[in-house]
Amino acid sequence: MALIDLQHISKTYGVGDLQVHALKDVSLTIAAGEYCAIMGTSGSGKSTAMNLIGCLDRPTQGHYRLDGIPVDTPTADALADIRNRKIGFVFQQFYLLPQLTAVDNVMLPMVYARVPQSKRRSQAIEALQKVGLGNRLENRPNQLSGGQQQRVAIARAIVNRPKLLLADEPTGALDSQTSQSILDIFASLHRDGMTLVMVTHDAAVGQQCDRIITFRDGQVLSDRPTATENTLEIA
Amino acid sequence: MAYNLVENATMAMKTLGANKLRSGLTMLGIVIGNASVIAMVAAGQAAQDYVTRQFESLGTNVLFITPGDAQRGPDAGVRRADTLTLADAEAVAAEVLAVGAVSPEKSQRLRVTRVAAETQANVLGTTPEYLTVRQVTMAQGRFLSPVDAQLSVAVLGSETAKTLFGERNPIDQSIRIDNVRFTVVGVVTSRGSSFGQNLDETVYIPIEVMVDRLTGQEVGKTSPTVQTIAVSAQSATSASAAHYQITNLLRLRHGLLTQEDDFTVQSQQDLLDTADSITSILVLVLGFTAGISLLVGGIGIMNIMLVSVTERTQEIGLRKAIGAKGSDISAQFTIEAIILAIIGGLIGTSLGLMSIVILTLATPLSAGVSVSAIAVSFTVSGSTGLIFGLLPARRAAQLDPIVALRS
Repeated sequence: MALIDLQHISKTYGVGDLQVHALKDVSLTIAAGEYCAIMGTSGSGKSTAMNLIGCLDRPTQGHYRLDGIPVDTPTADALADIRNRKIGFVFQQFYLLPQLTAVDNVMLPMVYARVPQSKRRSQAIEALQKVGLGNRLENRPNQLSGGQQQRVAIARAIVNRPKLLLADEPTGALDSQTSQSILDIFASLHRDGMTLVMVTHDAAVGQQCDRIITFRDGQVLSDRPTATENTLEIA
Repeated sequence: MAYNLVENATMAMKTLGANKLRSGLTMLGIVIGNASVIAMVAAGQAAQDYVTRQFESLGTNVLFITPGDAQRGPDAGVRRADTLTLADAEAVAAEVLAVGAVSPEKSQRLRVTRVAAETQANVLGTTPEYLTVRQVTMAQGRFLSPVDAQLSVAVLGSETAKTLFGERNPIDQSIRIDNVRFTVVGVVTSRGSSFGQNLDETVYIPIEVMVDRLTGQEVGKTSPTVQTIAVSAQSATSASAAHYQITNLLRLRHGLLTQEDDFTVQSQQDLLDTADSITSILVLVLGFTAGISLLVGGIGIMNIMLVSVTERTQEIGLRKAIGAKGSDISAQFTIEAIILAIIGGLIGTSLGLMSIVILTLATPLSAGVSVSAIAVSFTVSGSTGLIFGLLPARRAAQLDPIVALRS
């Protein structure tokens, strides 16, 4: 069964002559366990698609089922709940809370998931160890490098064990070497069975995914598996 | 819910602690508001107590007859001062059955000298009954007596005695009041002060002597005028009868048929009630003024919280993206505001209490700590935080996560 199932999705902003059709009748499915990149130039609709997939926004028309649950109608609070339980977010700007330590930042989604306080810390530490930051638990964001901050953000995204990890330009603010370390973490999460969807404009980054969906003018321009050389190498 | 509250409070403390300067400034308004509510209310109540005690010290069954009509309203200040005479006092003493003792009083500030020592004192012409009516006790010698009526004798207040004689015994010594010789026959015990007047800077002399030797007869008067006739009723229960009978007698004596009274009879209770109504307004005005500063403090909280919501838009967006509901966000900001208000309230309350201690040490007012004032100002500051935190919190809760993250 498809984890992400978009059927005839349209998204329109504004009214009358000022209407902008950000997405026009897009249908798209992504299966559980896929590692896929969404690419396109700015204004292509890739960000809108990302917001819809991430349940941050609702489509004007069409139907969206996430993990079998229709999510095109629920209220803002119901969407918040779905985001909390099913989706982990990684952003270009990290968005860590400066007043909190790394482990406190990672614990944040569990606060909203109403996870008992006694379990939070151990789960957060586990997530931080998974991204290689087991020794940076009590550091505040301003005491961490960019790459370390992004790894804290990844730990935060996976701590509630979501089905889907959504990354919006996760390497956009990082140098190429650090970027690769982040992508390595994604690859290892992918191997563990996590579904990853990454928005990027960097073709080299997109190449590391299994599938590239390219948007243009609010529609899917192409949807193809990446060149098989990577897979061959692994094989 | 309680579980969430602790959670939110912990989070709020971390956030507020991370920005100490701003948190401090936000609290300042509430601190000042709380401190002033507590201090002002305490000061007002202390003033009220003080005035009440002053009136109570006058004695419970004492009536005061003063010239002019105090009830007449705006022009009461320009009342005629010469409508009461010594003869009126004598008539009241002789004819009103409900009356115990009558003490006519005529006073003037005069220069009192002894050899090289000199002082200003309130020279009070009165009769021996003063001792009974005003409940004065003697420290030395005796008070005025009926046989003194035409004699130049004087009784000194404790402070005047000290100024003129120091540690020496003043009895049978002579002093001069406006260059008229008087012989000291007694010293009264210290009476403290009443309505800002130091009662111990007084020289008591027979009223007839005062008129004959010091002030002189007024033109067109057959009997000397007096400023006050203090009357003690036979008992507390006969005070109202005395009040009524005195009024009738004086109207008759003054030939008043249809006109208003040209004198006022007031009991200690009347004076107390009047003073109470004035001081209650004082307390109210002080409390109200302080309340305004509390309100301003609350608006300060709202202001900073609104700024804070704007500044932390990304934080709000992130929290929403990872699963915070609108209610979570609004709880977070509301609790931050309430915590600010409560901590500010605590600091303000301690400052207020400190100022009460200072007030008690520095003034004759003995300010009590009013538990109700603390409770009220605490409740008010807590609810100020709640009320003024709600608008920013609502604004934060309604932010669209996408817009918030892109800002």
